[in-house]
Amino acid sequence: MRRPKRSIGLVAMVVALALATVAACSAGTITSRPAAKGSGGGTLVMGAEMEPDCADWLGSCAGSAWGTWAIQEHTIPRVFDYAKKQGVWTEVPSPLLTEMPTVADVGGKQVVTYKISPKAVWSDGVPITSTDFEYTWNQVVTGEDIYDQSGYASIESVDDSDPKTAVVTFSEPYASWRTLFAAYGVLPSHLLEGKDRAAEMNDGYAWSGGPWFADWERGEQVTLTPNPKYWGKKAKIDKVVFKFIANTSAAFKAFKNGEVLAIYPQPQPDAVEQIEGGIPDTKAIVNVVTGNTEALWINNDAAPFDSLAVRQAFAYAIDRDLIIKRLFGGIGVEHALQTLNPPSQARYADTEAYAGYTRNLKKVNQLMKGDGWAKNDDGVWEKDGQAAEITLNTTPGDQRRRLTGQILQEMLKKAGFALTVKTNPSFFSEQLPTGDYQVALYATVATSLDPGLCVIACSKYIPGPSNDDSGQNFQRIDVAALDPLLETVDTAYDPTERIKAAKAADVVMAENQVSLPLDSLPNIALWSRRIVGPVGDNPILAMFWNMNEWSLKKNEWSLKKKG
Amino acid sequence: MLTYVSRRLLYSVPVVIVASFLMFWMVRETYDPCARLRASRDAAAVSRCEERLRLDDPVVTQYGRWLGDAVRGDLGESSRTHEAVEEMIPRALWSSVQLIFWGVLISAVVAIALGVYSAVRQYSVLDYTFTGLSFLGLAMPPFWFGLLAIELLAVGPKRWFDLDQPLFYIVGLHSGDSSGFDLDYLRHLVLPVMTLTVQIVASWSRFQRAEMLDVMSADYVRTARAKGVPRRQVILRHGLRNALVPLLTVMALDIGALFGGVIVTETIFSIPGMGSLFVTSLSDGDAPVLAAWVLVTASLIVAFNLLADVLYSVLDPRVRLT
Repeated sequence: MRRPKRSIGLVAMVVALALATVAACSAGTITSRPAAKGSGGGTLVMGAEMEPDCADWLGSCAGSAWGTWAIQEHTIPRVFDYAKKQGVWTEVPSPLLTEMPTVADVGGKQVVTYKISPKAVWSDGVPITSTDFEYTWNQVVTGEDIYDQSGYASIESVDDSDPKTAVVTFSEPYASWRTLFAAYGVLPSHLLEGKDRAAEMNDGYAWSGGPWFADWERGEQVTLTPNPKYWGKKAKIDKVVFKFIANTSAAFKAFKNGEVLAIYPQPQPDAVEQIEGGIPDTKAIVNVVTGNTEALWINNDAAPFDSLAVRQAFAYAIDRDLIIKRLFGGIGVEHALQTLNPPSQARYADTEAYAGYTRNLKKVNQLMKGDGWAKNDDGVWEKDGQAAEITLNTTPGDQRRRLTGQILQEMLKKAGFALTVKTNPSFFSEQLPTGDYQVALYATVATSLDPGLCVIACSKYIPGPSNDDSGQNFQRIDVAALDPLLETVDTAYDPTERIKAAKAADVVMAENQVSLPLDSLPNIALWSRRIVGPVGDNPILAMFWNMNEWSLKKNEWSLKKKG
Repeated sequence: MLTYVSRRLLYSVPVVIVASFLMFWMVRETYDPCARLRASRDAAAVSRCEERLRLDDPVVTQYGRWLGDAVRGDLGESSRTHEAVEEMIPRALWSSVQLIFWGVLISAVVAIALGVYSAVRQYSVLDYTFTGLSFLGLAMPPFWFGLLAIELLAVGPKRWFDLDQPLFYIVGLHSGDSSGFDLDYLRHLVLPVMTLTVQIVASWSRFQRAEMLDVMSADYVRTARAKGVPRRQVILRHGLRNALVPLLTVMALDIGALFGGVIVTETIFSIPGMGSLFVTSLSDGDAPVLAAWVLVTASLIVAFNLLADVLYSVLDPRVRLT
């Protein structure tokens, strides 16, 4: 028998090998657009861990942080930027305004005046005017399916008689006025008036009032290109691409593979380990001053936490600093948060309110015994035949929270509490609103520097018939001394009065141990040394807020050993 | 044949509808599409959302409304993205089709080559090697293989050889600047296609080997050899041609199933296909998208099952469809 000269299998393998070889060889010849060293130009590709759901920033579909970071903050003009002054993050007028807005009491009504920069124009050259402010307000209060009408519903009128001065009059005092026209920004009335705003903006838009245009290719990427009509600092890079990547782990791999030059990963344990292990040619920032508050949110109405003594004993049973060290010690974060306000709102917080709650088993015994509890044969506290068995509910699929639960189980066991950890996909939609839980582990996220704990801690917001079961005080916090303080924070627009009330509220919350703060979920930014410029984290706008000031170093010749 | 095809298609309609209803019902029962609005400071946001989606209606009514629109070509709007579902599905389908096309093409070529070689050189060293490798491929979970491939063929070489550019890409099907069929596209395809095909190649090559062995011991092959037909011609014309018939039907069945089964590969490599669409829609309880997703994938599975039967009857004259 004659052997065949060639086998199909061999041909197939040769083809496959050839493909791989071509790819491998070509790796040395493909370079991104060359640019002068740090002088501008080029394409910057970054990883985005989540694709925005829509680009209609007023709509209910627009709650995604990545929508803000990848598109909105680069294309929609806003009244404030956020900067650190004397160690505290604060609002500063954005390039849209000529000065800080003024607040006045005119005839018993709160009036806020915005002076618009004469240079401010949309990408088609049409000036940004007070009519745009009026249009935005109208859309928020009259539009369908709006994400958040808070504050805008309290506006009585927007005077646009002077195109470069927007005078906003409120029907009732609204202390959080700084959130208005900041989170949503200002929309172009001349382009959207008379049209279906949601439909026009939902999948992206071709206009801009910021330093970049955004072109969103659903499922793939967002591409930013400079807006030549922008009146502020012009973008230096030719193109910025946000590639959508499935998760934190994939983002890290893409970063290490050189496919993306910057990532902004979630602070999960594997991310912390990767950073601890070191990634070559990389710069990193770990910022604990964020808008997040990760806490053990306690249902104050559910046994055994309906007792103040048990809530306090629970806090004394936990070494929060140890948990934080275990979670984030690898990136230098070792201390627990001591207020339920996020660090970005530190000027409105007593940042040491919870500092007295450190692990102290003597105090646990004292408090529990004082409340009529005694340890049973299993070493668990028991009262009236009910053991101190606690269920901790949290979100599914979160590595960090699973680890936190495991550490807590050990700590609480030694203190006489039996802890079970459960996850549930309908955690936010069912368990929290209905109060069907004892302790929950999750984070609240503040999208402005303005305080506002009333919505989660005032008794009027406990879900019930009075608020059509829509209240967000899922902790069922009902402390008489707390309500007036938090309501003052919501209504007084005198900053001194607000700060005083907010700090006093923190003390009351700590005394009543309404819930136990853990950490601020540090922001982590990683970027290649090829990116040059003032890269830094911002608690509201993330690491991307000033990309127009970044530039790219020239790409090195591939395959060449770096000197 | 036409009657058979028509009857099969008719039978498939209730199957597809029941599948999409079950998906719609389970998602509505277990997920709240307005849940994320509970983070809004505006307490009325949730009730506005519930009103817009008419969540107070019974699930059957909601599904009936969706199906009525679907029959008229309107698959509804995603409750997550507010985008028309009839735009989302084709876009995701196109990404999956690319992956599946290359995966099936390469799997078929490699599996047939390996199967034929193993059968013709039965009990040779390479036959044992291919057999061992195929068992390894069958036993290897695709997610693990994918992660291993990323580490060994992408991230690893870049680090070991200090490359400025990666050898193979691991995110999506194109780089930021690129589109269309080019080298960049091929460098994006290599690892996901390998991950998708590792188990397919293993099972198809085993199947092909078994069929080839069966055919090569048939009387007509022995007769052909006895008549002095060259070995190459015996293998290709008499052996392979007949051994391919059963494999083609298996391939048709597998291709249909792949449209719903690319979840792992697409998730690992951030490819915005049908698998990724399923995962993101499920995590947000996006019932209109999921019902349409089931409608499309179930239809594809039904269609490829039917194709398998039809192919079998076309390629093998002994089989008649009635």
